[in-house]
Amino acid sequence: MKKRSSVLTLFLSVIMMLSLLSACGGNGNNAPDSTNSGNQGSSNSGSELQKDTITALLPPVSANYQARFADMEKEFNELYPHLTLKIEPASWEDMTQKLDTQVNAGSPPDIAWVGSTAISKYVALDVLLDLNAVLSDEVKADYDEVAMKYFQLGDSQYGLPAYLAIHSIGGNKQFLEDAGIDWKNVQQNGWTYEQFRDAISKGVVKNDKGEITQYGFVFATSGVTSKDYLSIMAKSAGLPDYFDESLKYSYTSKNFLGLLEGIRQMIDDGSMPKELSSIDAGKRWNMFLTGQTMITGKGLASFENSARLNNEKIKANDGSAVADSIEAEYIALPVPTFNGAGYIPTAVVDGYIALRGKKEPSEEHVRNIGLAINFLSSGSIAANYSNELFLTPITESARNAAVLEEYPRNEDNVKADQVMMSKAVPARTDIPTDLAAEAIKIETEVIVPKLQALLANEITPQEMYDAVKAAAIKSFGEDGIVVD
Amino acid sequence: MNQTLTKRRKLKLESDSGWGYAFIAVALIAFSLFTAYPVINAFMISLQEYRPLGSTYVGLENFVNTFSDELFWKALKNTLVYTLLTVPFNIFLSFLIAILIIPFKKRTQTIFKAVYYLPAVASGVALAVVWLWIFDPLKSGIANQVVGFFGIDNQNWLGSSATAMFSLVLMSWLSSHGTAIIIYLAALLGIDNSYYEAAEIDGATFLQKLWFIVVPFLKPTTLFLLVTGVIGSFQVFQNAYLMTGGGPDHATTMVGLLIFNNAFTYFEFGEAAAQSLLLAAIIAFIAYLQFKFLGKEIEY
Repeated sequence: MKKRSSVLTLFLSVIMMLSLLSACGGNGNNAPDSTNSGNQGSSNSGSELQKDTITALLPPVSANYQARFADMEKEFNELYPHLTLKIEPASWEDMTQKLDTQVNAGSPPDIAWVGSTAISKYVALDVLLDLNAVLSDEVKADYDEVAMKYFQLGDSQYGLPAYLAIHSIGGNKQFLEDAGIDWKNVQQNGWTYEQFRDAISKGVVKNDKGEITQYGFVFATSGVTSKDYLSIMAKSAGLPDYFDESLKYSYTSKNFLGLLEGIRQMIDDGSMPKELSSIDAGKRWNMFLTGQTMITGKGLASFENSARLNNEKIKANDGSAVADSIEAEYIALPVPTFNGAGYIPTAVVDGYIALRGKKEPSEEHVRNIGLAINFLSSGSIAANYSNELFLTPITESARNAAVLEEYPRNEDNVKADQVMMSKAVPARTDIPTDLAAEAIKIETEVIVPKLQALLANEITPQEMYDAVKAAAIKSFGEDGIVVD
Repeated sequence: MNQTLTKRRKLKLESDSGWGYAFIAVALIAFSLFTAYPVINAFMISLQEYRPLGSTYVGLENFVNTFSDELFWKALKNTLVYTLLTVPFNIFLSFLIAILIIPFKKRTQTIFKAVYYLPAVASGVALAVVWLWIFDPLKSGIANQVVGFFGIDNQNWLGSSATAMFSLVLMSWLSSHGTAIIIYLAALLGIDNSYYEAAEIDGATFLQKLWFIVVPFLKPTTLFLLVTGVIGSFQVFQNAYLMTGGGPDHATTMVGLLIFNNAFTYFEFGEAAAQSLLLAAIIAFIAYLQFKFLGKEIEY
């Protein structure tokens, strides 16, 4: 009896160990199916196409994007009967961490969703596949050139873009009109920092006690979102990129100092809250819907729909409307221009990259990845997520495809988006990955922390400028920075 | 006959030992796989420029870079400040609460234990969300309403260098004392009543009993909580990551967060591994000092 019990205990212990070991095994769901993956095969020598499985890790790009995964897999298989598309859904919160873990373990999915700014990071790790050879000219011609460039580095095409979104700002129509702002003119012709500064100061409302009840402008700047604030404004301050055309670091120019002075000035004027450095994305949107700010940032085209849905809830006395919110019509606006520079919108291009693991993929597998990436980023799939995000598709095939549901849109906003999109400039493909990596390090270790301190009024614009310049000289040398 | 019996006993003994080794093996394999191997691997990675498709050996470069990195020293200083401000106070607070709970009946004690242990069960992320709400920078924020009651202007709790570290410390002071309270309560119940009776006969006051009986008897428990508290505090990551992201201007960047950023933001796994090993060495040295200077008089 005692012996039996010992055997049983040992048996259970062994099961426990095996469970632990299997959990750590490399054959998880994320790994390509080794029995039919193209990683295993060589080029297709026979007349019959070799079976292959393409894996993809994708976040909830739009409201119904993930719900359509099963249909997308089925449709892809109908188009290419020898291929299986296996999509693993990921939440926005998990996406980067999940992908980075798989990349660093040497077993990434074949396709993953990233923002184009992350491409240099993966190129430096040597895990991206160049799709130039497997994408036909006909396929390439389907994509708008500006968006396409965002997924290039040097001569390599590391993936395909899914959409191009403009990061702008947005105002409450009623408040803008109350402040006497000709928003239709601003939508079409833009505004300078001086005009903007004057406008947001008119948007400030105080109560009888002299307390501010409505700010002129609130931008999410808490934590890493401060990076967005600075980069969105910098584009139209004569600093379209970290490097100028001769690859010199540009945030050391006087334009940068001018921008920092403007950023501090708007808070000192009382047009922006002094607690700005702690306001996150959720808080500033809440402030917009509850009438605590006239203009908010960053703004996306889809915010028009979010505001409209909340307005409908308020009208219907729906308890799920944002607490204390008021009816607010969202008006898309361009960011102001600083230092006499021209307007350059912040174009955010997200899309799909092609990845490789430790094993060298076969040519045929790379070709199949190209087919899958093209399938996911064009036609009706792209048409539907673009439509749900209130974006104009960036492929001809998507523009011609039918969408599942039409959403009402403000015609003025549509025109404003078109004006902003028309001014989007292609991504720089000439910046070497080591320079880009060094710039990202300065951004994370110096720019973002110092900007937080500047917003909290702990350092002056000059002190921040000096700190960034010192870090840039350390990284790129005296000759590697812009001096003016 | 006798020889056969001895042989059987020996066999039985060997057989029992075999089972023993088999059972130990389970824990040993788990330890080797999930503790020893990662540590050895971290050491190997710390000598490399790690790349998923092939790393290169760089010797001690990652350690040299770490020592010359101002941010590492700032993060270490922040971690030390956080530890000094949180660990002693948290231990004192847990001790105080345990002393207040111990006179109650068992059932009431259980209720208090459950109430104080509850935050340990809740997810750290959920707690951080609640604290973010408390530290809302606008006038409507709970913390600002409290200070406003005393006529103090609203504070940018997490956005200002002056208050960001204090906010994290306050968060630590007011959360998760459950485990320490339960450990202290168990230790308090282990003190024999005869000591209190003898002290009462001698006319000792409450504070005298506390100082001359309770504190010395709880010294091993306090040492245990101090050592584990310092280890936990030096590894703090979650609160800084979720609440401040290390800002503003690195005012709340702890070593744990720096290691995370190096590994998962910059993919500098070599440098992150080197910093992890240095952190482990620092923690081990502090634990050694604690045992050396505080572990002496724990026998009675």
